[in-house]
Amino acid sequence: MTRWLAGLTLLFAMAGPALAHKASDGFVYLDTSTEPSQLRIDVALRDLALVVPLDANGDRQVTSDELNRARGDITRYLEQGVQLQAGSRNCRLVGQDWGLSRHSDGPYAALRYQVRCPADAAPDQLRYDLLFEVDSLHRGLIQQTDGDQEQLAVLGPDDHALSLDAAGRSWFSVFADFLQQGIWHLLLGFDHLLFLLVLILPATLARHQSTRDPKILRSRLWELAGIVSSFTVAHSLTLGMTVLGLVHPPSGPVEIIIALSIAVTAINLLFPVLGHRTWKIAFGFGLVHGFGFASVLEELTHGTSERVLALAGFNLGVEAGQLLILAVIFPLLYAISRYRLYQRAAVPAIALVVTVISLYWAAQRFVALPMMS
Amino acid sequence: MPTMTSCSNTASVGRLQRGRGPANPHPAPPGGGFFALLFCLFFAPVCLAAAPPLEPIPARTVLVNLPETGVSAAPTSQSADALAAEVRHQLKAARQQGDPRFLGYAQRALDQWPTARLTSELRLLRGSLRQSLHQFDGAEADLKAVLQAQRSGPLRSQAWLTLASIRLVRGDYAGSRQACEAFADDYPGLIAASCFAQVDARTGQARAAYERLSRAVHQSRSTRDPVSRAWAEGTLASLAAQLGLDAAQTHWRRVLVMDPGDLYSRALYADWLLQQHQPEAALALTQGYEQVDSLAVLKAIALKRSQQDDRDFEQRLAQRFAEARWRGNLLHKRDYARYLLDVGQQPEAAFHYASLNWQSQREPLDTRLLLRAASAAGETSARQDLVDWLADNHQSDARYPETTP
Repeated sequence: MTRWLAGLTLLFAMAGPALAHKASDGFVYLDTSTEPSQLRIDVALRDLALVVPLDANGDRQVTSDELNRARGDITRYLEQGVQLQAGSRNCRLVGQDWGLSRHSDGPYAALRYQVRCPADAAPDQLRYDLLFEVDSLHRGLIQQTDGDQEQLAVLGPDDHALSLDAAGRSWFSVFADFLQQGIWHLLLGFDHLLFLLVLILPATLARHQSTRDPKILRSRLWELAGIVSSFTVAHSLTLGMTVLGLVHPPSGPVEIIIALSIAVTAINLLFPVLGHRTWKIAFGFGLVHGFGFASVLEELTHGTSERVLALAGFNLGVEAGQLLILAVIFPLLYAISRYRLYQRAAVPAIALVVTVISLYWAAQRFVALPMMS
Repeated sequence: MPTMTSCSNTASVGRLQRGRGPANPHPAPPGGGFFALLFCLFFAPVCLAAAPPLEPIPARTVLVNLPETGVSAAPTSQSADALAAEVRHQLKAARQQGDPRFLGYAQRALDQWPTARLTSELRLLRGSLRQSLHQFDGAEADLKAVLQAQRSGPLRSQAWLTLASIRLVRGDYAGSRQACEAFADDYPGLIAASCFAQVDARTGQARAAYERLSRAVHQSRSTRDPVSRAWAEGTLASLAAQLGLDAAQTHWRRVLVMDPGDLYSRALYADWLLQQHQPEAALALTQGYEQVDSLAVLKAIALKRSQQDDRDFEQRLAQRFAEARWRGNLLHKRDYARYLLDVGQQPEAAFHYASLNWQSQREPLDTRLLLRAASAAGETSARQDLVDWLADNHQSDARYPETTP
């Protein structure tokens, strides 16, 4: 008994506190700011060797040849152990490259994947089940990057699923978020404001003097409604088509055309090259502005599975912002439009300034285009 | 739900710049990856999650040597005896190599066994495992259950001794002494004498305890029980260090000759050498043990004090603590606090971790660390609480002479 007890004694009573190197960790890096999301999984070779036949010849060493031969087994093991879902449906992991990485406790196999989810949604759930079957103290260290936000989490055998950020929000909060984004974008995106301004200028011109005549006011309002509606219908059309993936125009040229469209509309106030039917201009250029809205919305909808909801919210937000502006500007302009000075000087001056600004934008955006080689 | 922590990215490692976004709340890390790593370690909340670069697999190279683990994914032991043998093997490997992965294998083996069928031996092993994981309440519960079930025999003795050790570490000296007495009833000898000596030394009788144990060792020179001898020598070394005797060195050398794998004694000895202003000797002692946190931190301090540079090692250590902080729970707060205090020059953070550590572990090293961190961070009231606690227990130590009651 002496020997047994003594052996056990020294073993346990003195063990414990002071020591330790690193416990076993698997690293999962998920980047949901790209389309599709990117995933990287790092697992220590010595951990992998417990669950995948890595050491083929049993010499307690893993060589690069053995690792290369085990690639299929490793991928199978990782793919059944790390699962991503979007809206309760499994996403597919598409293998990219692989290699070695070095963490503080030695070499790791590092595998990169693209995450393909149903309906191109962003993943909203991650399950981690690697190595728990052999090591209860193993942990999955998860990093989710989304734009400039970074989330860290730790998953263990009792706690192996993680709700990913931006997921699990109520549809109302998604809608409200995008509604607000739409309003902000219209109010702060200067080019749409300027376009709107030059579009409605013709409607403020009370060609037959008295602005107090209700008949005239009614006809001006009808004209305004026509212009705004055709702009709205047009940009909603292209915005929807782009976000739903039916068309995909390059954003660089679109931005240039938007700037040019403002210039042309402004010039048209002075020299009506496109005619007096402003609603037609509004519709034609509205199509281009829709592509512009779309590229903004595309950026915002990364990490959202509710695209249609986002589209609806954003579009309504844009319209709300538009109405807000009109409610302030139109009465103002209409009120001063009875002064000759307005028609003779103010309108041409506005048209000129807007033309210069928008041509400058167009030039700037042209220079910023990536060079073709 | 798992806890989520948020932090701005990019502060982590300069290499990963992600375009847009609000300004970084932390100032830019100065210099290269290593500094970025250090920077993040000390300033950013939980940062430092940037993935290390992915490198191609070199041709025809041995990538890693695998330790013998005795682990298989298939369902393990069929009988309680076989399971106990397996768990004992894992715990032994964990101790000898200072490698917590083996604790994970042991836990897994125990987890798949129905609780209702746990034998006393399995409970004893689980208690030891929990002790190693700093789950002291759970460990004490398991050991008490063993004492309930076993009215005599080696399992009971082992349970008492482990209980004595846990209570000593927690600063429960009365409880520890009671456990030593119960152990000594069944199993008198050098181990029991060491058990008493440790409690006595922490309750105001260090000198007497040292002399008593020295005599006991001397008288039992004829016994051919190396394990008991090593045990007693290790205890004598700790007591000598507490008394400020140079003999500590002799005792530790004897322990390490008998058992070079006694990492606990090795760490205490290396720390003692640092206090004696012998960083070169501490370096030699920690050489080859960089995988063990406590020894790696001591090596980093020794490097710094001897004005040497080992950039690769320092970077690896910083990365290890960063990963441990991400992981959170198994973090060795004592080692990290020591690192922050003596390598990172971060007294406030060091004080934070040293106080957390002292909540569960109250060995002289823990106490000394907290005293130093509290002084460095200007935490005078926390320091006074500690001095009062030492006075209540009549504990004095040459390694913190200023607190001698």
